Amino acid sequence: MRLRGLLVRQWMRRPGRALAAAASVAVAVGAAVATWTAADASRQGFQRLTEAVAGVPTIDVTARDGQRFVATAVPRLVDVPGVRAVVPLFYRPSLLRVGENRLREVAVGVDVEALVSAGLLALESGEPCREDDELVLDATLAKGLGVTVGDEVLFFARRRIARMRVTGLAATNSLRWFAEGATVVADIQVLESMSLSTAEVDRIRIVLAPGAAREEVLTAVSGRLPEALVADVPAGRASLAEDVLHSANLGLDFVTALTLAMAWFIVGNAMLMNVAERRRGLSLIRVLGGTARQVRRLVTVEAAILGGIGAAVGAAVGLAAAGPISAGISRALQTSAGGVAVHPLLVPVAVALGIVIAVAAAWWPARQATSLDLLEGLSALPAEPPRESMRGLLLAAMVLTAVAFACELAMAFGILPPRASVVSGVVLLLAFVAFTPFFLIPLVRFLGGFVPSRWRIEGRLAVAQIVRQPIRTALTAGVLVVAVSNGIGLGHAIRDSVDDVLGWYARMLKADWVLTQAGALSVSRQDRGAASRAMQDDVGRLDGVADVEGIGVATGRISGQACVVIARDLPAGLPLPLAPVDATEADVRAALERGEAVAGTVLAQRTGLKAGDAAVVEVFGRKTPIRIAALVVDYTSGGASLVLRRDAARRLFGMEAADVLLVTAAEGRAASLRDPLEVIARSHSMFLRSYGDLRGFIDRIVSGVVGSLWSILGLGFVVGSLGVANTVTMSVLEQQRSLGLLRAVGMRRGQVVGLVVLQSMLLGAAAGIIGLVSGVTTALFIQFASQPLLGHPLAMHIRPGVVIANLLAALAVTALAAWLPARRAVKLDLLEALSTE
Amino acid sequence: MPWPPGFHAMQTPPSILSTERLEKTFAGGDAEAMVAAVRGVNLSVGRGEFVAVTGASGSGKSTLLHMLGGITRPTAGRVLLEGVDLATLDDDALAAIRRRRIGFVFQRYNLLPELSLLENVSLPLALDGVTPARCETAARAALEAVGMDHRGSHRPDELSGGEQQRGAIARALVTDPAVVLADEPTGALDSANSSRVVQLLQRLVAERQQTVILVTHDPAVAAAAGRVVRMRDGQVESDSAGNSRP
Repeated sequence: MRLRGLLVRQWMRRPGRALAAAASVAVAVGAAVATWTAADASRQGFQRLTEAVAGVPTIDVTARDGQRFVATAVPRLVDVPGVRAVVPLFYRPSLLRVGENRLREVAVGVDVEALVSAGLLALESGEPCREDDELVLDATLAKGLGVTVGDEVLFFARRRIARMRVTGLAATNSLRWFAEGATVVADIQVLESMSLSTAEVDRIRIVLAPGAAREEVLTAVSGRLPEALVADVPAGRASLAEDVLHSANLGLDFVTALTLAMAWFIVGNAMLMNVAERRRGLSLIRVLGGTARQVRRLVTVEAAILGGIGAAVGAAVGLAAAGPISAGISRALQTSAGGVAVHPLLVPVAVALGIVIAVAAAWWPARQATSLDLLEGLSALPAEPPRESMRGLLLAAMVLTAVAFACELAMAFGILPPRASVVSGVVLLLAFVAFTPFFLIPLVRFLGGFVPSRWRIEGRLAVAQIVRQPIRTALTAGVLVVAVSNGIGLGHAIRDSVDDVLGWYARMLKADWVLTQAGALSVSRQDRGAASRAMQDDVGRLDGVADVEGIGVATGRISGQACVVIARDLPAGLPLPLAPVDATEADVRAALERGEAVAGTVLAQRTGLKAGDAAVVEVFGRKTPIRIAALVVDYTSGGASLVLRRDAARRLFGMEAADVLLVTAAEGRAASLRDPLEVIARSHSMFLRSYGDLRGFIDRIVSGVVGSLWSILGLGFVVGSLGVANTVTMSVLEQQRSLGLLRAVGMRRGQVVGLVVLQSMLLGAAAGIIGLVSGVTTALFIQFASQPLLGHPLAMHIRPGVVIANLLAALAVTALAAWLPARRAVKLDLLEALSTE
Repeated sequence: MPWPPGFHAMQTPPSILSTERLEKTFAGGDAEAMVAAVRGVNLSVGRGEFVAVTGASGSGKSTLLHMLGGITRPTAGRVLLEGVDLATLDDDALAAIRRRRIGFVFQRYNLLPELSLLENVSLPLALDGVTPARCETAARAALEAVGMDHRGSHRPDELSGGEQQRGAIARALVTDPAVVLADEPTGALDSANSSRVVQLLQRLVAERQQTVILVTHDPAVAAAAGRVVRMRDGQVESDSAGNSRP
């Protein structure tokens, strides 16, 4: 018989123990595969959502003077790293006649065939337009008009009226990133020719490759442009969505990393128990002449085999779970499911990782088992953890804490990127778990004092059992600490970030109706100013309108940094739609009336601007100095914004037009304004949306993102629960002899079950408290880390609901995890239980 | 079994196992307090001797046995097995000595519950890398020597205490060790089984010239040995011929 045979015999004799060890690896690998896939699905969902909301990520090249320019003036940009496509755009307001319907629509000229083949324009039906008398229509518009592929429409252009054939219907979502509200898509050369604007374009939109850093591409593109052209992030685009999604991506990284850490604890604990339980047997092998190396090899070979089996099962279960999880996340994000995309390396890497983690986790207990004094190993009493181990653990905990705080400080000073918060958060959590053995015992003793007197004996025994095995119970608790900390920390961080964004949105956009500019954003040009003023007057004269505020948007630059210049009427009768940092509303309002500006906190962070500084702002090629009165919390274009009054913007930058009109209705008149506003909107090529629609739209993004994060957090909790259930099962198996002894001395079966459940719940409660402290610290860490991103501190609010839900979940999980194995243990024949080695 | 490779053959000493001023001190419950379990023991055991070590609880007899078997290292002094000082050996070499030159018998038998009796007996050989076939042959022979060859396929929990202990003795003998060390081998047995185990050990000494050192607090068991070493407070109080000495 070889030692391998001994392993097989041990598994056959105690299949529960071997199964539990393999199950721990299965849970860990399954969790890794499922979390990874779910996080991937979330990222893809976020991407689709961003594209649906804000279009694909882009950079615009425009003329400094805001006019059209000749496309040939633009150097080759397609080879810039991070550029996916370079798309010249030409917009033309026109009239469309379909049967008896005459519609004022905006046409956009692009290379339709190239866009379709690059996957940047999706046709619901038909094919791209190729000839001079062909065009593609927005599918939603076409459906409304009853137009299908092959039908003809009359197109009114500057040079001529053309009868054009509809060759394809474009999916509305896929138009968003470039059409700017245009519903007619034609070949750019055809549209230019029909508009007598040969070779001229309004802008060149550069589509970024997936994962490309916008700032880096922007710098590279800017470096190639001639003086007359400028590259910027498109002004006024829905960067709110991008910001929410950026934070969500950070959250996803965090959750994924923590789930993996939790998986490691689960395996580590299972392996520790698996070895610790066989301490006597392993010591006996050494007494009989087995070397320490042989024993270590026995344990690690076992870990590799069980790890391999567990990892294969876990990968299969993880893959099976990935489909429904991804579909659920897609539903939460209200995007079409993109199918489960599993990286070909994911499964082999997960299986290899499972084996490596299992072997690594078994190595330490194997070392402990072989360095144990032989007599101590042969004794029936469990060994106390060596003092050096405890000292080492304390040292590790302190080093981890120092590393986590050093990371945070490095991020605060800009030495490390905000993404490093994922690493520092995980390191901090590991530190908490390393501290757990030192806090756990006093906490358990303290909590033991609250056990009702009718369970006094069970309570005392439960505390004694936990105290006897501080390292092992700390590892079991560690799984719960991670799960609770995850739930509380990220729960708070997510809610606080979302509240910050929604609070800003509610302040910024207080109106019943919102009219937004469709088309070529030529609104920024001075020549559109008169028309937009006339329109604002038209709206203001409508019966039932209490107030109209115009907002102009233009791209600008401060100290070489791109920014969005926002010009608002800021009526005196309405609350200030800005949240100043370290300044009063009255002071800010007074400063804005004097013609000064306020800067978004992110812009201030990037450019080093402070309240009271004078900044030189470049808009439409004109450089103008302006005083920064204060900093404000703002999420427009990622917070890189400069806000001032419209009269000042007109005077300083020539910003005449309003891109957005916020219409506040008189009390009870909001609904009645829809039709007259619709008429004005159509006649000025603008979109009309109710505040409810916009709010619903934002809520949809936020709730989708939050929902997907919660579902992955929930997945983490399920993994943690499975891990706890597994380790508690192993712990009960190990205690079978002690439990048998208790029954032998007269304890009833119910009492024994109560003892095991109580033991588990005390552990759950203590871990919950440590997890609570860890979670709140994690939330503070995340918020501290977001400061460089947002430029302002996020207010942290303790949310009792989140805390109580997590603590109750921890208690419920531990109670349930203990109840089933305890019931099984007490059903065991007394003699059999007593003879358990 | 021969000496493990790397051990230089020495001239056979007059005693197979001896100690020189052997001491063992343990840390007590209080960090300051040290307990001297064995204090300056000098002992010499010749080949084929059957020695019983007796004494009251806490007299240091089991600690002495553990040091003789290389299970625990002395605080001071030397243990010489066939002329080799066990204190000079590293862990792996000591494991090899335990595997090849020493046979252990414990009070609680210490058979691995997941293995059959035959597999338990062959375990020291398996640990030494002996082929399965040779392991089985040797194990069967050892079981036959203790009269347990018919129970080889049974697991320990299917055997009585006496049978388990005889199996444990077979395991101790399977490598043909220089010395068999037995720690209270009859402590968990009834008188009938106790008597059978003692007779078995006597037979081994008589027929195979096997050196046996046995720790017991049972005067009846001690009386079966050829020599009785009585310990008190960690020291040898008396060293005399037993009742069975020829």
